[in-house]
Amino acid sequence: MILAINWPHVWMVTGVGFCMVIALLVVLIFILKLLGSVISGAVKAPKADAPKAAAPAAAPAATAISSADDDLAAIAMALHLYFNGVHDVEPTEIHIKRVERSGWNSKLYGMNNLDR
Amino acid sequence: MADILEFFGKMGFMNMTWQQGLMLLISFFLLYLAIKKQYEPLLLLPIAFGMLLTNLPGAEMYHSELWTAFLDESSPYYHSYGAIMSHGGLLDILYIGVKAGVYPCLIFMGVGAMTDFGPLIANPKSLLLGAAAQLGIFLTFLAANAMGFTEAEAGSIGIIGGADGPTSIFLTSKLAPQLLGPIAIAAYSYMALVPVIQPPIMRALTTKKERAIKMSQLRPVSKTEKIIFPIAITTIVALILPDAAPLIGCLMLGNLAKECGVVDRLSKTMQNELMNIVVIFLGLTVGATATASSFLNIRTIMILSMGIVAFGCGTAGGILLAKLMNVFSKEKINPLIGSAGVSAVPMAARVSQQVGQEENPSNFLLMHAMGPNVAGVIGSAVAAGILLTMLG
Repeated sequence: MILAINWPHVWMVTGVGFCMVIALLVVLIFILKLLGSVISGAVKAPKADAPKAAAPAAAPAATAISSADDDLAAIAMALHLYFNGVHDVEPTEIHIKRVERSGWNSKLYGMNNLDR
Repeated sequence: MADILEFFGKMGFMNMTWQQGLMLLISFFLLYLAIKKQYEPLLLLPIAFGMLLTNLPGAEMYHSELWTAFLDESSPYYHSYGAIMSHGGLLDILYIGVKAGVYPCLIFMGVGAMTDFGPLIANPKSLLLGAAAQLGIFLTFLAANAMGFTEAEAGSIGIIGGADGPTSIFLTSKLAPQLLGPIAIAAYSYMALVPVIQPPIMRALTTKKERAIKMSQLRPVSKTEKIIFPIAITTIVALILPDAAPLIGCLMLGNLAKECGVVDRLSKTMQNELMNIVVIFLGLTVGATATASSFLNIRTIMILSMGIVAFGCGTAGGILLAKLMNVFSKEKINPLIGSAGVSAVPMAARVSQQVGQEENPSNFLLMHAMGPNVAGVIGSAVAAGILLTMLG
């Protein structure tokens, strides 16, 4: 049965097929990198042409990064609390605190009755 | 009296063969897995129910002989959808969508509308990991040939290693429709078992130190890049490999609808209503192809066993390439993200995250693993296109 198989063709499909998958995706990597550099270049271009105009824009960019960092920190803290079980555990029960009155510290007993 | 006897004679119980009885039991087991164990329930439930319906004697909802005649060049019904419409049952008519390759493409449209390609655009090298994980497809193709399957059947079995249900169904419906039932069930069952299959392979192929590698944060991706990405990928892939165009084109159309932000209604329809309707039709009809005569044979067991080999080889391929990339690259990659190169979105990425956190609880690999994960979807569609071109 194995001898009846067209092994040269099977090996060709295996080898060429896998190499083509790799080759095509490598082409896509180059295109994505090119795309990324072109678009980031297009964004950076006005800064190079007009440095004075770009200066005020730096503040919002910094704020945006800072905001993203804050978000990440909040998410990381939430995950840490959740996975390590250190979050406050609320019993979700309401209790009425009953105060027992003994009178041991009552002001009445601490007062002196002075005859005047 | 004769009428009563005739009535009893027509009952399914009186006409059931033991093979059909066994298939009903298998469908009950799959329903149990879908409902109780929640193994890919959205697909496994309709598949199992389709299997139940097709094996009910006398129900006449699916006719495998009609589809045999449809593929037989000497038959008067060769490639005659008219014959299917006039003589077929409910499931035969719905199966036309599988046969014509329509449902898998529509599902890909929904997948595209739900997928964020941002991590892949931010780190294009992820595509290499997605490509390496397709190793399982081609190694299994070799093994299936050695086990006596035809080349077309071997290609369909190999694609299970892509861990992509719609792609498996698309390719099998074109190359080896007689194997559609077992291949679809193998593909979806193993996708559900990714958290069981992958971790032992991941631990075996990596050291503790490698699993603890922390990767730097991905760069932000602009909206313009996200809009250009689907257009560029479709154009390039379809020009190089026209047979992959239906899958890649639909995947990227869905993604473009999501990212462009001007067709929210279409994007939501693709993600929800369209996707859900097609999943029902696809699951039912794929399950219906699992008739007793086509399913209960040694070839099904061989397909199921080779499917798991394909999955394992794909996982190993991605991890080994990530390790190789670490040799040449300055910025280290955690090899665990390589295993996410088999599609199975987002399950495989979640497995990378979990195994990574076992080693280092402060390590968050999820977004890094999403890059190879979505690259795997593209990679498996490309591999399907290549197999279709070479074997179709």
